[in-house]
Amino acid sequence: MTRDEIFQNEALPHLRSLYGSAFRMTRNAHDAEDLVQETFLRAYRAFDRFTPGTNIRAWLYTILHRVRTDAFRKASRSPQTVEMEGEGPPVPPPQDALAGGGEDLERALQALPEVFRMAVVLRDVQDFTYEEIAHILEVPVGTVMSRIHRGRAQLRTLLGEQG
Amino acid sequence: MTCEAEKVTGFVDGALPPDERVRLEEHLLECAQCRAQVEAERALRARLGALPGPEPSPALAARVRGGLQKDRRPSRLRWALPLAAALALFAFWAHTAPGVVATQMAWDHDHCFGRKTLPAKVWTADGAFMGTWLQQHGTDPPNVPDGAAGLELVGGRHCSVGNRTLAHVYYTGGQRRLSLYVVPGWVRGGRAGEMRRGDKTVRILHTGGVTVGLVSEQAEVVEAFERALTTTYAQAVVRTLVAALPD
Repeated sequence: MTRDEIFQNEALPHLRSLYGSAFRMTRNAHDAEDLVQETFLRAYRAFDRFTPGTNIRAWLYTILHRVRTDAFRKASRSPQTVEMEGEGPPVPPPQDALAGGGEDLERALQALPEVFRMAVVLRDVQDFTYEEIAHILEVPVGTVMSRIHRGRAQLRTLLGEQG
Repeated sequence: MTCEAEKVTGFVDGALPPDERVRLEEHLLECAQCRAQVEAERALRARLGALPGPEPSPALAARVRGGLQKDRRPSRLRWALPLAAALALFAFWAHTAPGVVATQMAWDHDHCFGRKTLPAKVWTADGAFMGTWLQQHGTDPPNVPDGAAGLELVGGRHCSVGNRTLAHVYYTGGQRRLSLYVVPGWVRGGRAGEMRRGDKTVRILHTGGVTVGLVSEQAEVVEAFERALTTTYAQAVVRTLVAALPD
């Protein structure tokens, strides 16, 4: 198998999952697609440095996060800064919080500051471990726990549950 | 233990070290608020895990594949251009390196003298005649000596070695032999002095505006021919100057 074929077989099956997270990062389809395309391009160029048999999904997410961070840096604003804000909900809880289904939850997720949203998405949607998330986001494990905690707490508030 | 809400989150995710997990489990037995947090976070986690993911447009996979393909093509060019430049530079370096020319001449010396009969195209013992013949066949000759150190001019031809054509003039005397080459084009200076190639001594010198190579198994024969070449050239210069003098 050529390098290209290995890359296509190993990396491309994660396209849907990466897109899901990219969409939740950027909150729009156009930016999410650009983000995913750039992620695969960088992964392809760096594929020689990837150790076969190790966790390619976590590796792809690390690149996804870097591409996103670089885009923020270019726009000279960092998503990290919002972490300094208080724990209060950034927007009022949606009116139809009790509507059930996934819509209210999706909306509440979108309302979270990005650092908390990503920590929750990586843990609760993508089911990464704290260690993997720490590696992807390039932060200590303690920070991962803190972000997930605050993210879930805000989500519960947004959904009208008890904080 | 007091309530540590962040640790409760770590507990839900199975991310606490064993000792902290045990302590938290004990705390949960007596703290309804923390137990409620565990239940709420587990329920939230279950709901998040069941969320249908946003679907990419069907075109995205094709777009990504296309992007990779486009990346592959220029990446070849990125390598090809510097590689071609490096090869060209190396070829130029090799072509003009005196060491490379010396090796080619030493090889050709063995090749021609190794034949049963010398493969000369012209047979002559007259240096001036040899010079004229070379000129008629496209080589600017030096002042070809008739002989030196007991060796005599036998004849010559053009030899193709590698990617260049050398004028090759043969001298013999008993068991001794010498090749005089006229090297076309430019050969770098530097190690233009004497070089050894196997049992042979090779000398590259510039005389009379041309690059000349001398190859022989005897270093003293090479030296004698070098003197003869420069003397013949000096004599020719003097003759020209004298002829130009007003009576």
